[in-house]
Amino acid sequence: MSFRARLTLGVVIGAVLPLTGFGLVLVGTEVARTGVLDSTLVRIVLFVLAAAIIIAVLFAYALANNLTAPLRAVSRAVERASAGDLSVRVEVAGEDELARLVESHNRLAAALERRNAELGRILLAIGETSPRDGLERLVAQATRSARSAFGMIDARIELIDPTMVPVEEDIPGESRPVRAVLALPDERVGVLVGHLPATRGWDAADQDLLELYASEVAVAIRNEELFDQVERQRQRLVELDQAKDEFLRGISHNLQTPLTSIRAYAEQIGTEQPDARLSIIVEQADRLYRIVRQLVATSRLESGTLRPAKEVLGLAPRVRRAWDALGASGVSFELEDDAAGWLAIADPDQLDQVLWALLDNAVRYGGGTPIRAHVAPRPDAEQLAVTIVDSGPGVRREDRDRIFERYERGAAGASAEGTGLGLYVSRSLCVAMGGDLMLEPPLDGRGAAFTVLLPGEPPATDLA
Amino acid sequence: MLAGGWRSGGAAPRILIVDDDPNLLVLLADQLRNDGFEIQTARDGEEALRRLDGGWPDLLIVDMMMARMDGLTLAREIKARADLPIIVLSAIDTADSKADLLEEVAEDYVTKPYHYPELRARIARVMRRLGDKVPRRELVLGPQLTLDLRRRSATVRGEGVALTPTESRLLYALAANLGKTVSTEILLDRGWGDTDDADPSYVWVTMRRLRQKIEPNPDHPVHLVTVRGVGYRLVSHGTDA
Repeated sequence: MSFRARLTLGVVIGAVLPLTGFGLVLVGTEVARTGVLDSTLVRIVLFVLAAAIIIAVLFAYALANNLTAPLRAVSRAVERASAGDLSVRVEVAGEDELARLVESHNRLAAALERRNAELGRILLAIGETSPRDGLERLVAQATRSARSAFGMIDARIELIDPTMVPVEEDIPGESRPVRAVLALPDERVGVLVGHLPATRGWDAADQDLLELYASEVAVAIRNEELFDQVERQRQRLVELDQAKDEFLRGISHNLQTPLTSIRAYAEQIGTEQPDARLSIIVEQADRLYRIVRQLVATSRLESGTLRPAKEVLGLAPRVRRAWDALGASGVSFELEDDAAGWLAIADPDQLDQVLWALLDNAVRYGGGTPIRAHVAPRPDAEQLAVTIVDSGPGVRREDRDRIFERYERGAAGASAEGTGLGLYVSRSLCVAMGGDLMLEPPLDGRGAAFTVLLPGEPPATDLA
Repeated sequence: MLAGGWRSGGAAPRILIVDDDPNLLVLLADQLRNDGFEIQTARDGEEALRRLDGGWPDLLIVDMMMARMDGLTLAREIKARADLPIIVLSAIDTADSKADLLEEVAEDYVTKPYHYPELRARIARVMRRLGDKVPRRELVLGPQLTLDLRRRSATVRGEGVALTPTESRLLYALAANLGKTVSTEILLDRGWGDTDDADPSYVWVTMRRLRQKIEPNPDHPVHLVTVRGVGYRLVSHGTDA
């Protein structure tokens, strides 16, 4: 039952009950005196009673309405406030209890509205700080935001032990000192101190908000420090990578300098007085050079500093040159070029490494059997492929999965010469150039078959 | 055989070799003298700079890794004095992170251990290219296209596009003859003068790839124009055109 209904009922009962009692006493007294029930009197009493009830109901309803109107207004305002609209104020005239209730609601709504605005500004301020700004800018920004968000006259953030900053006394009539510790669960980063205008109210809720803000600033400062640390470590890793690159460059230079002289002198003498022993010196110098290159490539692949060039080149001539450079005399080599005008896109230096490794493998594992290379385009995939096949025993079934791993040597095992890096580096180089290296399925009558896939360019139609 | 033409044409080209490996210095000087070049040698960067004071060579061959002054510093020092062509001899290959740096100061580089015929071919190519002079460092070819060949890059519609060494060599030859037709044979020589593998299809395909990189509409090229049966022409469409 509503407040209005209860009030109405109360007034009706309060007015009608005594009147009914009075009517009953009147009728009872009259019956005792005359001995008969005077029907006229009874009718009068009943009529008066009915009139009294109607008047009481109307009056009670009006009164209840007058009393509950401000209550209903407050209730509506509270409902809208809890829905988020804090701008609604309730107007009630007078000085009574209801007016005071309404006024305290209005004050509450105003305070909530102000804190909401502060909170909004604080969230905005927190959102504006970025760990990339650096500590100094972060602190300056946080100080500025605190001043505007809380309406301070002045504010500063000290990144020292909070106890080192003395607590100021609050003297009535002068600007009010405020203070909040920049606290993290495990550490007190510093302290935020400032002054408010003397007229500005400051209660526990305001203090809570300031402390919340201070702890957010503390988190931002901690994040900045962590970010800085990560950045320094990243920088250090980059430097280490560069140092490693520089070191490898030095090593390969120091190996290649004597190799250059050895090779060039052997070659020069060879042109003057041909001697098979001199060409062995040249070949072995070249072999050593290729191993150095392989080690450098491995390191670069691992540190991600390999950046292959994308040049246009014909694949078959490159295979022929790689074979000639190997100097594998006594092994028959057959090159079939079905490129049909297709050219490959590759880094010439890196492609040479791949071809040397594959042809060298074919010579070593093929046991001197004839080697065939076949160049052909794969137009659907816009690729150019070269397949290199020997006629040896092929790759054992149990070795097929692991030959592309590092330091694996396949069937010949540890007795074979070489770094065990050949296929691993070759495949990685092919992938880096946008292609791939695959071991073909075993077929009767042929040995190991490897296919190098490279991005291809179809024949040019724009003939100049 | 290569220098024979130079011999008959007048003074032999002078080359200054800078390397801290005396064995290599003697050998390379020997090999080049046999081919008719006039050779000077220097053991380090300072000696090289002193020799420059006594007269400029036609070309320098500089070792990258030297104890006192590294090749890159020396090359920069030389370029600050005169625009002399430099070939860097080093353990650096095309995929090295330093290759781009070299490209800025050196006309070409050869990996150690060098193969003499290849080195000689590169020297010849650099000498031939001496006639190609691109007037400005940055070449604005239109509102949407700027070339910076020393940095091996182009700016296409405001975005940087990297060029490969060969692509920039071809563009260099075309830019030096801006608006004029350059024959496919010359382009083949400028791009692949150090190898016997190449044929005109290398030029055609590289041009097609270049168009995809720098032309607003690669199917209707406006900057890299084909002159059928002859070669190619680089055309500028300046903002005032």
